[in-house]
Amino acid sequence: MSSEDRFRRVYAGNFEALLAYASRRVEQPDDAADVVAETFLVAWRRSADLPPDDEIRLWLYGVARRVLANHHRGGMRRERLGERLRQRLTPAPTRDPGSEVPQRLAVRAALSRLNETDREVLLLTIWEDLQPWEVAEVIGVSPAAVRTRLSRARARLRQLVGHDRDAPGHVLDVLAVPVPEEGR
Amino acid sequence: MTDEHLDRLVRDADPYRPEIIERLGGADQHLLEEIMSTPKLDSPARPLRRTLVRRLAGAMAAAAAVAGIIATSSLWQTQPDDVYAGPTGLPSAGARVGAISGWELDLKAAQGHPRLLIDEPGWKPDHVYGFAEESGSINFQNGGRGLQMNWYPDEQYQSYYDDRLHVSEPEATTVANRPASVFTYSKNDMAAMLKPQDGTFVELRTQGDWTRATFDEILAHVIKVDAESFLKALPPEIVTPGDVRTEAAKLLADMPAPPGFDVAVLDNAGANDPYQFGAAVAGRVACDWIAEWVRADKAGDKEAVKQAAAALRSSHQWKVLHDMNGQGDYPEVLWELADKVAGGDVPAWYKEGLGC
Repeated sequence: MSSEDRFRRVYAGNFEALLAYASRRVEQPDDAADVVAETFLVAWRRSADLPPDDEIRLWLYGVARRVLANHHRGGMRRERLGERLRQRLTPAPTRDPGSEVPQRLAVRAALSRLNETDREVLLLTIWEDLQPWEVAEVIGVSPAAVRTRLSRARARLRQLVGHDRDAPGHVLDVLAVPVPEEGR
Repeated sequence: MTDEHLDRLVRDADPYRPEIIERLGGADQHLLEEIMSTPKLDSPARPLRRTLVRRLAGAMAAAAAVAGIIATSSLWQTQPDDVYAGPTGLPSAGARVGAISGWELDLKAAQGHPRLLIDEPGWKPDHVYGFAEESGSINFQNGGRGLQMNWYPDEQYQSYYDDRLHVSEPEATTVANRPASVFTYSKNDMAAMLKPQDGTFVELRTQGDWTRATFDEILAHVIKVDAESFLKALPPEIVTPGDVRTEAAKLLADMPAPPGFDVAVLDNAGANDPYQFGAAVAGRVACDWIAEWVRADKAGDKEAVKQAAAALRSSHQWKVLHDMNGQGDYPEVLWELADKVAGGDVPAWYKEGLGC
């Protein structure tokens, strides 16, 4: 199988997982398109020596994680691919801001207050459904460190959610109405 | 609260909605082709083209950016004979597009554009997208500098503006007699967002070798023009709505028409450069022949299977694909699929592969 054929297969087999991963970690839904595009672009450029099939998704998560970090620093590439995907992910501007369940917003707000790596460990475990050793592969720490961080993240989150569930009113750090981000 | 309960709360807060996959409309496949059209690290670097393309035509975007201009049609000539009477005799254009056609159709489409041009020698629009959309884009190039004008529906202005406030403080200016705000991404990278007018707002963004001084200078030369001037400024090879029937007829001349094929399906193709238009036409014909092969095979109609297979094999002789072949991979993908289907194997991904 040529590296092109393999890349197509890798893309098809992991697109949704990567879209989900990115969508969960950007404020603007359409920014996920940039993260997915950039991640697979990295994979394409290395398509001659990608990791074996059973490691590829974890490797892609790791790439996406670095892409995201770059994104949060405002350092995304200028020549951006994925405009069509971006358009598809752009939410309707008239979306009802009241459509989100307050509890979800409260949990997300609490998650945003966790230490970044602890949060990532927790989210990879629950949202991406990864085992500790897999989380360890993605973020580049030992499985033991993952377990420690997971335990700490749960304890901290439990504390935060406990507080927030009693706190009425506006939830900080959560945008109720997504708006398009810059256009390229 | 147990770990299990806590995990459930987090799971419930998952913002990802799997149903989005159903709504991508081929955008995932489009992105794949875009990515695979870019050079790998071991290839010589070449400029990437923004994604102002339709569906799988993006597969060759990068190559098209350096392919130069090939004049194939004249935008400002009215096309009196835009009726396609192909191998099977197809409905006339007039029956489908109403009372207007050709130049008038282009004018009507252009009315919906902001129609901004750069009134200074050397600036040339090289990519256009959006005739068929409520938003769109046109890129002007002059040597190492590009200025991209993107337009959007005016109701999105405030959300875009608010977003740009994260980029920098806005600086007030005037562009084409409209109040505008300049946002600074870096010392070489700036954007100007015009206040909405006529249902849209425009954002101009630099690309390449710019300074604030050169940006300000060019902003002073951005002018709004009438639809006719705008169309005349477009590169002649762009196939606009008024050209579709005539240009399609040329491409279809050496393609066997699938049963029931109606050229009107191409009417909403918008504006395309020749490669993209070629992909739209050849892809449509190939899609229809594959569908016919599948139908005939299912029905046990051996003669029709044979005819469809022969039609698909004939794609190796379709001129437009050979014209396109130096610029991108769409022809190769089409030939590969055509041969497979003609040989009795219908790959599950054929619709995505061709943009059916």
